[in-house]
This record gives sequence, C-alpha cells and structure tokens, in this order.
Amino acid sequence: MEPDLVVPTMEAIRRWSGVAVPNAAARHGLADHAALIAELEALRGSMVFEEEPSHFEAALRACKEPGQ
Amino acid sequence: MNAPVAASDLADLSMTEAADAFARGELRAEALVRACLARIEAHDGKVNAVIRLDREAALAAAAAQDKARAAGEACGPLAGAPMMHKDMYYRAGKVSSCGSKIRRDFVPQVTATVLERLDAAGAIDMGTLNMAEFAQNPTGHNAHFGHCHNPWNLDYCTGGSSSGSGAGVAARFFTAALGSDTGGSIRLPATLCGVTGLKATQTRVSRHGVMPLSFSCDNVGPLVRTARDAARFLRVTAGQDPKDPTSAAEPVPDYEAALTGSVRGMRIAVCETYFLDGADAPVVAAFEQALAALREAGAVVTRIKAPSLAAIAAYTALVSRVEGAAIHANWMREHPGDYAIHLSARLFGGYAIPGHLYVEALSRRGALLKQFVAEALTGHDLVATPTLRIRVPTLAETDIDADPANWHRFMAVSANTRPFNYLGLPTLSVPCGFDDRGLPVGLQLAGRPFAEATVLRAGDAFQRATDWHRRAPAL
Repeated sequence: MEPDLVVPTMEAIRRWSGVAVPNAAARHGLADHAALIAELEALRGSMVFEEEPSHFEAALRACKEPGQ
Repeated sequence: MNAPVAASDLADLSMTEAADAFARGELRAEALVRACLARIEAHDGKVNAVIRLDREAALAAAAAQDKARAAGEACGPLAGAPMMHKDMYYRAGKVSSCGSKIRRDFVPQVTATVLERLDAAGAIDMGTLNMAEFAQNPTGHNAHFGHCHNPWNLDYCTGGSSSGSGAGVAARFFTAALGSDTGGSIRLPATLCGVTGLKATQTRVSRHGVMPLSFSCDNVGPLVRTARDAARFLRVTAGQDPKDPTSAAEPVPDYEAALTGSVRGMRIAVCETYFLDGADAPVVAAFEQALAALREAGAVVTRIKAPSLAAIAAYTALVSRVEGAAIHANWMREHPGDYAIHLSARLFGGYAIPGHLYVEALSRRGALLKQFVAEALTGHDLVATPTLRIRVPTLAETDIDADPANWHRFMAVSANTRPFNYLGLPTLSVPCGFDDRGLPVGLQLAGRPFAEATVLRAGDAFQRATDWHRRAPAL
C-alpha cells in the first residue's frame, strides 16, 4: 500500500518545480522517502547555528595526516 | 631492443607494465593497440563496454609513438598504454553522449583537463565507453546504449556508473579507463568486475570539461588493474587547475615512490557500525580473508565503532540527489520521457527534499568529517570495508525499468561507497576474492584527506601478497 506522503509530495513537486510524476517507479521512490525522513528526524537539533558549507574544505585541510 | 613481450600476453599487461615495457624498448605500442582491438572485436558484442572506437586514430598514435621512441625521443610516463574513457569526458569536436538520449549528439567545445594531462603523458586514447545514463545509477543499466554486461558472468551487473570502464579493464580491452565517482561510480564497477579503482580526495583532480552530476561529490579517477597503475595515473592527473576553481592547491607527491610493498605497523580500523549491516556471508568471508592477509603482512587490524556514520549515511543520500535534480530540472520539465524510467524516477525524488535539509547536510559536512576522523582515523591509518556489502546482483534483479519493486536492491548497491563521497576521503577498491557464484568481491580502503599515498601503499602491498587482481574472466 502506498504511504500517505506520496500524493501530497507529488503535488508539492509539481507546484514548486513544475515537474510532473514521470512513471510508477517515481511513486515507488517517493514512498521510500519515509525511511529517509525517519533518519533525518533522528538528527534534528544536531546542527550548530554557525555551521556553513565552507567549513568542509577547511576540514579537509585540517584532517590531513600528521606531518603531511 | 630488449627481448620483446610475447604477443599472446600483450593484452594482459597492466598499464604500468605496458608503459614500462614500452619505455625499455621491449614493446611496440602498435602491437599492444592491435592486441586490445582484437579483444574488443572478439568480445565486445557480449560485454557492450564500448560506445565509440577510434581504431585508426589509435593505431596512428601508436605508430607515431613507436617511431618517436625508435628515434630516441623521450616518452611520457603513460606512453604505449592504450586507454578508453567513460563517455562524459569532453574532447572538443567529438561527441560526448553522457550515456544518454538527450546528449546523444552533443559536441563539446572544450577538452577536459584530465584528458589533456593524459595526452601529454603519452596515453593512447582509443575511444569512449558505455556508462549509466548521466552517471546516475550504481548498476550499469543503460536503456539507450544497452546494458553493459559483467565479463565474469554476462547475466550480472557490472556496477555503475562507470560500467564500460570496469568491464573493459577486466576484459583486457585496454589498460586503463577514466571513471567518475559521485557515490561509488568508480569503486563499484571496479569491485563488481574484479579490477582496481581509485576515488581520490575531493578537489584532488580537476573536473574541468567533465559532465557534472553533483558539484559537491563528483570525482574523477581511474579504473585499472593494480594499485601501482592507479598511483601513476593519479600522479599524471592530479593537481590544481586554473580552469577548475575547486581544485586543490595541495602538492602532488610521487605516489609510486610510496609503494614500499610493506604494511608492517600500519593500523587498519574496521567499523563494526554500518558497513557490515546486512552483509552477505560470502562477502564477509572474503573481507575477513583480506584482513587476515593484511595482518599476515604486518598490519594491525582493530575493530572500532563510528557513531557518526548514522548522520553521514543520512546526509549523503541527500546531497547528490538534490544537486542532480537541480541540473536536470529543465529536461525533466520539457521531455522527461527521454530519460530511462529508473533515472527520471530517481531525479523526481530529488525535488521533494526540502532546501533547509540540503543546506544542513552541506553545513554539517566539515564537522562530520572531523568527527569521523576522530572516531576512525585517529590512531589508525586506514579504514577497511567491503566495497559492496552484498553479492554482485544480476541485471534482472536490479532492473527498476522492468519492475519498480527492485528499487531497494538497486539503491542498496552503493551503501558502502556513498559515505566516502560525503566525507571527501581518498578511497581505493581492490579485488579480494570471489563469492559463491564466482563473482568478484572488493576490499575498500579509505584514508585521511590527501593521504592517497597511504591508501595506495596498502593496496599495492595487498596485491603483492595476493593474486586476485591477476585473475581474468574467461570470455
């Protein structure tokens, strides 16, 4: 049975992006989002206010092998 | 001239074996190209790795190299080595289909920096290779150019998205191939086809002139026979490029000089969390056997836990999907039917992911990298995992176009490779055995940022202690 989130998500995508559901497999993929939402729900509250994407390249340099 | 390499062995030569034999005057480039062309002509009807074969241009380039070497001219580090590349590396004036119907006739105006560097090093370019459409699947299915078939068993997946690169190196069609890796697209076909694949540190290799998928996670790298091949290939291709502002300014070391053959004292961590969850028994058995070989060679193997992997696994599922959805939005609106079913389905899901979660995933990337390094790579030189935690699947059981119910099996293929794209860490896959159906199993080794030399040293030492990388499929 298709989860409740599928139809409203399809409608939101159509409104925000102008993309229509292309096939049955796409509906299947959206149904799979329930598991991803649950994983992300578990991470709520973990982001720090000052974090931003540019920290990543600095972290790459900071995490090099000692002495490299 | 020294003793020539026997004609029957030519296509079995690895990239560095071929280039070194050529440099010593033991091998004619034209003879090797002819041996590779003969393999392609005999077997590609079954494997379907090749999209465009530039036969005459390759023979002419090889003959020119033979003539130059006979005249005493210096040759590059890859001279004499025939290669073909995933059909998403732009060469000005040549079609680059990206494995798609939409770009089937696309002719770029620029040449990829990585191709220019390979050309300058003497590599012989024989043409372009099959791939997942727009590099967007981990299995090797392609609805437009036909599926690529695993040379070990034609019913099975090659892995993707660099399907032709993995299958062609395994089938001895050429000595090396460029793949690209956004979620495992080099390491998966390397594993499934029983060859060696390297994804370097994010930003290590220029992406100028390369089809984009996800600007945060895309990587350029080789599929080859050995870690030594990967070391030389990386030395040639890595380094800052003014045409790619994201490329790193870090110096490029002599990676081959780091291949001491020893892992004595090297500390290798095995994560008890995530990477072995639901793993198939034959894969675990081959992985444990590989760890035993490393331990026998002097490495210290330790079991650890890495709690950060829960967040890493969740975020890594977001980033490339959102970025891929964004760059395909116009085509998804205007002619979605030109995509394969599985690709339009996958892209469609990307539009459902809220923007704040995408920003959260990118914003936490640096902090999670530091956390993972603290958990897994502080006190350890490497992390080891199976590259693919399940047995190699068949093309039929991962075909979403035929049955959407195959979605989960399809998505599970890249579970062990994707986290290292999010983390940006250098990661090598080497063959480490076979499963109970005779399909290859891969060992994945990841190191700290820019520690490619350490990763390659371990892979090379493993390959000196084992012969899995020497096995060839009977076609």
